[in-house]
Amino acid sequence: MAFDNLFSEIVFWALAVVTIGSAALVVHLRSIFRAALMLVVSFLGIAGIFAMVNAEFLAVVQVLVYGGGIAVLVIFAVMMTRDVDTGNRSTAVQPVALVMGVALLAALAYSIVQAEWALLPDSLPAPIATVFVETPTQLGRLLLSDYVLAFEVAGVLLLAAVIGALSLVRERRDA
Amino acid sequence: MTLQLLHFQILSAAIFCIGLYGVLARRSAVLVLMSIELMLNAVNLQLVAFGAYSGFGTSTGQVIAVFVITIAAAEVGLALAIVMRLFRSRGGVNLDEIDVMRG
Amino acid sequence: MGITARDLFLIAPELALTVGATVVVLSGLVSRQRQLTLVLALLGLAVTFAFAIALWDNVHANGAQSAFNDSLIVDKFALYIKFLVAGTAALVLIASSEYAERFRPYGSEFTGLVLFSAAGLMLLAAAADLITIYVSLELATLPVVALAAFVRTRIAPIEAGVKYLLLSAVSSAFLLYGFAFLYGASGTMQVVGGSSGAPTIAQALGEGSPDVPFGGLAIMAGAILATAGFGFKLSMVPFQMWTPDVYEGAPTPVGAFLATASKAAAFAVVLRLFYEALGGSSADWSTLFAALAAITMTIGNLVAIVQSNVKRLLGYSAIAHAGYLLIGVAAVTAHGQETQDAAGISSVLFYLAGYAAMTLAAFFAVIVLTQRSGDERIEAMAGMGKRAPLAALALAVALLGLTGIPPTVGFMGKLFLFNAAVNSGLVWLAVVGAVNSVVSAYYYVGIIRTMYLREPAGDASPVAAAFSGRLTLWITVAAILVLGFWPGGLLEVARTAASGLVS
Repeated sequence: MAFDNLFSEIVFWALAVVTIGSAALVVHLRSIFRAALMLVVSFLGIAGIFAMVNAEFLAVVQVLVYGGGIAVLVIFAVMMTRDVDTGNRSTAVQPVALVMGVALLAALAYSIVQAEWALLPDSLPAPIATVFVETPTQLGRLLLSDYVLAFEVAGVLLLAAVIGALSLVRERRDA
Repeated sequence: MTLQLLHFQILSAAIFCIGLYGVLARRSAVLVLMSIELMLNAVNLQLVAFGAYSGFGTSTGQVIAVFVITIAAAEVGLALAIVMRLFRSRGGVNLDEIDVMRG
Repeated sequence: MGITARDLFLIAPELALTVGATVVVLSGLVSRQRQLTLVLALLGLAVTFAFAIALWDNVHANGAQSAFNDSLIVDKFALYIKFLVAGTAALVLIASSEYAERFRPYGSEFTGLVLFSAAGLMLLAAAADLITIYVSLELATLPVVALAAFVRTRIAPIEAGVKYLLLSAVSSAFLLYGFAFLYGASGTMQVVGGSSGAPTIAQALGEGSPDVPFGGLAIMAGAILATAGFGFKLSMVPFQMWTPDVYEGAPTPVGAFLATASKAAAFAVVLRLFYEALGGSSADWSTLFAALAAITMTIGNLVAIVQSNVKRLLGYSAIAHAGYLLIGVAAVTAHGQETQDAAGISSVLFYLAGYAAMTLAAFFAVIVLTQRSGDERIEAMAGMGKRAPLAALALAVALLGLTGIPPTVGFMGKLFLFNAAVNSGLVWLAVVGAVNSVVSAYYYVGIIRTMYLREPAGDASPVAAAFSGRLTLWITVAAILVLGFWPGGLLEVARTAASGLVS
């Protein structure tokens, strides 16, 4: 399944347009609530692209964690915000921000395009089918062998984050 | 024209920069948080695309992406805790009064 | 490929600290006595320290060792930072034991989170691949977000928490994007080589083999994005804007921890990344860091002059000092001879320790001076020379040290840094640093003058300090003066630590 057929191209461009369009709407819409919904659309678009590039496990995680968990948390936060409908105001530096964003994009695009492309394969290497099946296995093995330290540290991090969050939100039990 | 790594990378760069614009240009802290999530997603996209296109360590990029997603979830959880704190102490959040970029 | 006993020994300091943090948090369920919390935390830190010393001996005998499939490198450079982080955490916890009264009933959670963050910083100093760097950086950062917002009665801490959370998340995004470029360009995550012989970034780039799909430009972009990401943690201009707000809004002990331990570990990882992984590339990192150093210290010092809040002023002072430390980074990345590099690295390590002593003394003094009134304006320091002699003396010594006046450690530290710059051909940078030190004297000495020469406006009664507060003030002041008079011992240790990175 190299990406040389028309079908995968159509899928890619469709997903790209949806993702970029919804991302742009996230930062553009006046209503914070709608912006949050657009964020979910953008997450789902990226999940689709993950599925395209042999990361089907990550695609599922993306839908569950980002499209589900994180989006719900963000919408929770939106519900506690005043002026949901018109709250998406600009800072004083908005024009500067636009210039900076475009400039960074130009710089990144330049370095991406210029960086010795001759050495790169044009499209996906052929034996994708095997990769497709083995990726989750490989991922699990890597997590518990080569990157086991990071895996454990991430566990401690989650514990610390939970302790921090709980001690912030719980009411006083005694004075 | 076949799809190349280039396409995925440019897509990733575009999302990253949209996120950066949101971080700089939006007053509401919730919106800034959403923009940051966009930036992190762009990173993941780039990492996963590398894995698919290069011969080396097909899954290593995906491993980082897993960590990024995990840690992003922890970050958003903490953010919600702070928002609730603010909600209680003020009876309503106006996070937009917290001008993040004011130095 | 699993975890071996050797791995566990090499990570014992962090392990002990994590266990200590968990025990401290759990102890809060049984007893809410703050003495118990403090004793348990110090016990955990003592065990951590003991393990780190054992590791130092081990590394001394057997050389640097890698653990966890080369995720971690235990060398003297990392151990030096671990000592610094553990010592800082212990002092911060002792000094805040009185202050922590206002965190009730969550004093044990406060202490536990400080320990978790310290464990993250220790791991960061020893991280040998990009994933470990990222994950331990977040372990160090996220607890601080909660800590910054810990005081519930005022709104400023919550704002500080929001700000720190959002800006550290943005910086992580930059960092990760940079790491993605580095990974794509080199095909590996490995910063430091290890026993498995997996290729490191430096090797992958050095060989220029066809296995390396992307060229120098991608490395350049990746390094610059990563620098931007680290720039937030280092309070480097133009990513410094959160620093004064967070230092001012967060509880004072949290500011102290952030200014010292966090900064030390962040500088350690920047040195490791740019010296070991990217040192071989043709790009001129030295000029980049030299320019950043000059801009950072100049802006930090100039804006500090107009500040009226002590904690905010210390925030700008922290920015200025990030600039001085960057002088050392610029000198090291100039890549002269190995002895020069070692001298540059050791000057940064020495200054990190000295800076920690001075900044801790300043913050601890501010804790004592503002304990009763809560008034953090510089005005409110008037007459403190009489009202709180010890705290005022400590603040004065710390500020003189931060200015760089002999015989304090600040003078010696700056001397070594400027010397390293001159040896690397960055004479202009040393001159800029010296001029900046003179400028900084204006606002540092201004506070001292206010404390000793001006009469208090209203309340003139003495300000008492608790025993814990007095103890930490004495320790830090002694460190500033002793290291100023006899810098040789610490410098020797720093040299040994630096040689771990160079060889």
